Formats: sequence, C-alpha cells, structure tokens
Amino acid sequence: MKVTVKSAQYLGALLIVLALNFFLPRFMPGDPLAYITADPSVDMPVVMAQETREKLLAYYGLDSPVGQQFGDYLGNLARGDLGWSIHFNAPVSEVLLGHLKWTLLLVGTAAVIYVPLGITLGVVSAWKRNSKTDVSLLVFLLSLGAWPSFFLGMLLIIFFSAKLGVLPMSGAETPWVDHGGILGRILDIGRHLVLPATVLVLGHLSGVYLLTRNSVLNVLGENYILAARAKGLSEWAVMFRHVLRNALLPIVTMLALTLGFLLMGTIFVETVFAYPGMGRLFYEGTMARDYPLIQGAFLLTAILVIGANFGADMLYSRLDPRVRRQ
Amino acid sequence: MRRGNRTWIVIFLFVLLTGLIAPACGSGEESEVVAPTASPSGEVEVEQLGLLTVPGDDWGYPSPFSFYPRGPGYIAMHFIFDTLTWKDENDVIPWLADSWSTSEDGKDWTFQLREGVKWHDGEPLTAEDVKFSFEYGKSHLAVSSWFAALADVESVEVSGDHEVTIHLTRPLASFQDDIAGNMPIIPKHIWEDVEDPAKFTTEEAVIGSGPFKLVDYDKEEGTYVYDANNDFFAGRVLVKRLVMRRVSDEALALETGTVDEASFWGKEIDLVGDYEEGERFEVITGPSFWVLQVIFNNQKAPTNLVEFRKAVAHAIDREEIIDKVTHGGAIVAHPGILHPDSDWYSPDVATYDYDPVEAERLLDSLDFVDRDGDGVRETPEGEKLSFVLVTTSDYSSDYSREAEIIKDNLGAVGIDVEVKALDYSTADGILREGNFHLAINGHGGIAVPSILDEPDWPANTYKSEEYNALYQQQSEEIDVEERGELVAQLQAMVADDLPVFTLYHPKMWCVFNPEKLDTWFYTKNGVAFGIPIEMNKLIFVER
Repeated sequence: MKVTVKSAQYLGALLIVLALNFFLPRFMPGDPLAYITADPSVDMPVVMAQETREKLLAYYGLDSPVGQQFGDYLGNLARGDLGWSIHFNAPVSEVLLGHLKWTLLLVGTAAVIYVPLGITLGVVSAWKRNSKTDVSLLVFLLSLGAWPSFFLGMLLIIFFSAKLGVLPMSGAETPWVDHGGILGRILDIGRHLVLPATVLVLGHLSGVYLLTRNSVLNVLGENYILAARAKGLSEWAVMFRHVLRNALLPIVTMLALTLGFLLMGTIFVETVFAYPGMGRLFYEGTMARDYPLIQGAFLLTAILVIGANFGADMLYSRLDPRVRRQ
Repeated sequence: MRRGNRTWIVIFLFVLLTGLIAPACGSGEESEVVAPTASPSGEVEVEQLGLLTVPGDDWGYPSPFSFYPRGPGYIAMHFIFDTLTWKDENDVIPWLADSWSTSEDGKDWTFQLREGVKWHDGEPLTAEDVKFSFEYGKSHLAVSSWFAALADVESVEVSGDHEVTIHLTRPLASFQDDIAGNMPIIPKHIWEDVEDPAKFTTEEAVIGSGPFKLVDYDKEEGTYVYDANNDFFAGRVLVKRLVMRRVSDEALALETGTVDEASFWGKEIDLVGDYEEGERFEVITGPSFWVLQVIFNNQKAPTNLVEFRKAVAHAIDREEIIDKVTHGGAIVAHPGILHPDSDWYSPDVATYDYDPVEAERLLDSLDFVDRDGDGVRETPEGEKLSFVLVTTSDYSSDYSREAEIIKDNLGAVGIDVEVKALDYSTADGILREGNFHLAINGHGGIAVPSILDEPDWPANTYKSEEYNALYQQQSEEIDVEERGELVAQLQAMVADDLPVFTLYHPKMWCVFNPEKLDTWFYTKNGVAFGIPIEMNKLIFVER
C-alpha cells in the first residue's frame, strides 16, 4: 500500500520533469542554429541565408509549432528514442551513454572509497569526541574539503605527472595503443583514474565525515544507548549495532541527494583532467542550446535522482521499522 | 542485530556494484576494437618512425558532412579528404588539380586533374568524382552550412577522365577560397546512395584521398588516430601515425611529452617566453586572423550617431587593454577589420588614437553635456548617457576584463557603462535581436574579404546601401588588383562609418618539439577558406 502511493508520487514527479525538460531549454535566449554556424572563440562567422536557416530548422524538426514538437518528443520517448543531438551530430542516447560509463566509473570508484572511509572516520571521531584524534581529524578533513577541486587537481598533475611522471595527466585511457590484452587495458584505465578519483575522494570525504560524526553524536545521547551500555554490551557492539544503525538514516538521505549532483557536478575534475564525463557534456550541450541533448541529460539525471530517492525511501523502511509500520 | 548486518551489506553492495560494473562496461565493448591494432612489433615500429601527438578535442566524425562546422572540425576532416587546390605558406598551389584556367567573365573554371590519384580503397579518383562532389554538396546544403558557397555553382561538366569545368551562376571572386580550395572531393562510388550524409558515419564515410586514413575516433575522449596513407599522391607522409587528443593544459602536456606540439595565443604570451628561451622547443609566430571589437547598435539612439561612435572610439585606450589583459600578446586592431597580414589589408583608413579630449569635444558638439553635475552626460532631451555593455564570460571567450577597462575609459568622459557578462548563446541572442547599445564580440576569418559582408556580425544593425553595393561589386570582380581596390574602399568605409570599433588582434604561437617534426608553418591567409590554425596537412608531407 505504502509502496504503491510512493510509486505514484514518483511517477507524477517524473511527468512534471518531462514537461520541464522540454520547455525550460526553449525559454533560454539564443538558439541552436546560431551556435552550430559560428564559433564563439577561434572561428569565423558564417552569414546564413534565410533559406538555409529554414532548411536547417526543418532538418532538425524545429520548424513545427512547439506543442507539436512536445508531442513528437513524448511519442519518440515512448519508443525509447531520445532524439538526435544537434551539436554532437549523433543519437542523444549514444552520446549520453558514452559519457555516462566514464562518469559512473569515476564517481563509483570515488564513492567506494569516500563513503566507507568517511563513515568510519566519523564514527571514530564521535567515539573519541574532544580527544586529540577527534580534533585533528576534524581540522584536517574540514580544511581538505575547503580546497577547490580544480586547484587540488592541478597540484596533483604538477606533482605526479609533470615532476614524477608516474601518472598520466589527462584522458580516461591512452588512445589506441595495444595494451596486450584486456588486463593491460584495465590497468591503463586504472592509472588514468587515480588522480581524478583522488580529487573527488578528498573533496567529498569531509561531507560524509561531518554528517556521520554529528549524527553519531546525536544518537549517543539517546536513552536506548544508555540501556545498551547498561546491558553490559561491549563498546564495539554498542557503536556499530546500536549507534551507527540509527545514525545512518540522515547519511542515506544525503547520499541519495548527492547522486544527481555527482553525475553532473564533477565538471571541474573533468575539465582539469580532460576526463570524458557527463559534466562537460552537459555544459557544452547547454552552451550550444542543443535542445535534444539537454532534454536527454536532464531526463537521465532526473531518473537517477528520483531512482536514488526511491531507493533511499525503500532502504529507510529497512533501516527504520517505524517508517515501515506507518 | 541480524537485520543490521544485512543493511550494511546492501549499502556496500550498492556502492561496490557502481564501482565494478562501470569499468566492465567501459572496457568490454571497445576491447574488440583495440585488438586489431598493430601487433606488438608493429607498435614499436610506429614509435620509432614517428608517432606524433597534437592537442585536439571532439569535433565530430571527420567525414565532410558530419564534422562540427568549425575550423578544428574541418582540420580533422582535411587530413583525409582533398580539394582541387590548396595553400602553403606563400600561395595557392595545385593539389588534386594540376592546373586551371578561368573564362573572361569569370563564370567558368576548368581544372586539369592530376593523374594516378587513388582513393584509400584503391579506386581511381576521376573527374566524375569531382562532378559528383559538387552536385552532392549543393543538393545537401542544409546539412552543412560550411559549403554554402556551392549555391553559386550552376553546373559541372566532365570532359574525359581528368578535366572538369565548373559553371557558376555569377562571377565569384572568392571561388578559390570558398570552393576550389575548400570543398572536399568525395568518392562517388561510396556516397551516391547516401541519403542523409550527416548520419552516414560508417568506416566507408572516411574513405578519402588524403595523406592520412582514420583508424580510430573516440567521441567521448575527443581523440582522432590517423595512419599515414603510403600511396599519397603529393609525396611521402612524414608521420606514420598522427594522434589528436584532448588535453587539459597544453603547456603541461608539452612539458610531459604528452603532446609534441601546442599552440598558444593572446595572453598566453607569458608561457611562450619560457619556450623561446628554453632549448627543448622551437616557436613560430603567426597571425590569428581574429579580432575583438566593440559593436554599436547602429539603429538605436544615440549609438546611431557616427559622431557619438567616434567619441567612444577616441575614449577607449586600446594600448591599456592590450597591456593589461593580454600582457602584450596582441596588436592594436585595424579599424578596417581585415588583419594587417592579410593580402587584402589596406592601411589607408581613418584611425582613432586614444584621445579623451577629442572624445569630450565630440560629445560636447552633440550637446551631450552633464547638466545635473552627477558626472554623467545627458542628451539635449535629458536622457542620461548610461548604457549596458553586453559581453561574454564563457571559459572559452571571456572578455569581462576588457569590458571593465572600457567602462573606466568611458566613465572618464562622462558615459556611464554597466557591464553585463553573459554566456555566449545568450549574448548572441541579444545581439541578433538588437536589444543592446554596446557589445563586445570577437570573431576570426579576417584574412579574406568575405568577412566584410556583415561588419557588425552577428547584430547586423549597419544598413548602408552604398556599402552593400560595393561589397557585391567586389565579390564579382575577378581581376585581383581591381578587387583589391574595392576591398580597400570597403575597409575605408568601415573605418569612417564605424559600425564597429576594433580593439585588438591576438598574436598566435606554435610551439613544437623539433626532434619529432620541424616542418611547422602558418598558412597564407589561413587554411582552406581562412582557418587560423597551424595544422595544415602539408606540414606532414615531404615537399
């Protein structure tokens, strides 16, 4: 029952998102044709005859009334067709998936490291609150999180790529080399992943850490913890079975909320390391007013964010029996 | 307690899966593509005989109809496809055509094709292919605005395997720049059945006749890998494998040997100084054929008054802008727009030195004076001289610092300016709609007269029938000297009427590792129809 209501809510949200996706880019000033015929930086202007302009509009299906375009968009979407990217001259789904795989790899690798690490450090800090360990962790991680990621990235590049020459400075893999098998290729991709993933880990560690620390501290003050201690449970058991489990609720919420951000929000890291992720793609698509691509990217983000929240909601009921019973 | 453990497991599994699945899909599908590369021994050979890496980015699949219609996209394509004529550092040179001639009226161009030229698939390149290319290009103009000049081609006539005549609807002075040296010749046997060329991106779509064959294109990574075409008609190809790849910082990439060449411009002069002093790299300087300008709205008061525009011009200190913003990496721009290094440049035009006294005198003569003593002048009708200066602040085109200096300069003579820095598309939209008084905008292509078509592009608020007639006349004038005079008149008109006030032309540098390749040069009047990029395919061919 509860799940059905929740699902309906999420479906409604998705429908609103679809309409917003379609109309918002079209409200922005500028149009896609201006951009495909002229470069903002190094190139030369192309003066386009009205006739050519109309042909181009027709070619990209931008000449029909907006209502009809929206209908076409929904119809195509129902058939799983996200359209054709005007700027990238390729199917939107292909462009998105091509970048999504790298973003997932980058963000996933970083998350595998910073989430458990942040939680562990947070618990340790709260456990030993006001001790030297706690204070130094707090100061260290807070100042680490305050560093701009592009600056950190440049420092890492200068040190590990330029000075030591041990790690590649840009890209996701060495272009077109014979690695001698799949293992060699994985290794190559891994080497390219180290620096950008490190920047992401360092940038996001403090958030998880701080939230865990606060959340654990709050739970520590509860009566049931006193009861657990009174039962004579070991400190370890109290911490990980009683405290952390209850403290996890806000952390799960935060992780679900940051997922969408991480999908597009790694743009600085992508730019510094020339990593082929979603952030740059979305930036370029928006600059170019590439409506089909913007719609596709928005939709993907929306689905992932809604999906993550749905997942968090489901996880909530596992974590917190009270939510289940309501 | 047990449930608690399970929750943990779920969380970790979720996180682990994201981390593990992603690399699998990232690597799995493409490993098959990597497999057929050269055997390990072949790999070593490529290393020794020259793997050259240059900076690049994703500019689309390099077929003539699917590259993104910008200079770098054309460059990615031109390694594979050839044109009838081409350009080196000094002049136009024969390319697919050995020789050519023009009729008296300039409407018919006859080309004798080079014999023995083969497509990458071994088929011979004939006059039929040339005819087909022009006709196909013309009937698919909608997909590539790049070849818009083909609209002036009336018909193409083949006489024998190696002679082709192009009939134009009108004499076209820019025929060499816009068509013969720009339109790539494509193989008829591949393209004749292709209906939507923009979506034709198979391996066949990149079969050309040029010095390189495409072996890999990676859209996400922005990488192009080319191998030398050992049957190339114009000479031995110097580089066995050419890679263009995206790098974040070209200077660091040069330093680490990630790339063997990089180009810099404008304020990057600071970096270039180090390379000039150092031993490892060599530097050549070239013209960017690019201009940054203040665009006036020539329709709205008071920027529609030429005296007012001149007052603004005299009030702006371009030396200060060049000094502070570009650190000396630019030259003061020519008021006639065309670059001093262009063949079409005319020095005989009005100039506007920094002269705030003259600016104030012009404003006074218009009766634009400060009536209420607030430091800002008013028109006789009492309207304040207070304007928004529209500019862009994208990371590829950020002119907010130039705008701030102009704001100070104009403030000193009693014109109040508010700087509005927008993203490129928004600013472009505002200019096209004409909702502005003052704007800063830059563009390239100032090597050739066709750039003078709309001097205040993209706003197009300058309406002068006399100017348009003159432009039309020069575009049909075949005699180079007479055309030169007409183009000089156009430049003089722009400088007198001042629809735009040009600020600076950035300098450009190509820094390269001479141990790898030392044949770099800048093309006369830019590559093809004026692309200011050093990457001319001739660099990679033994001459």
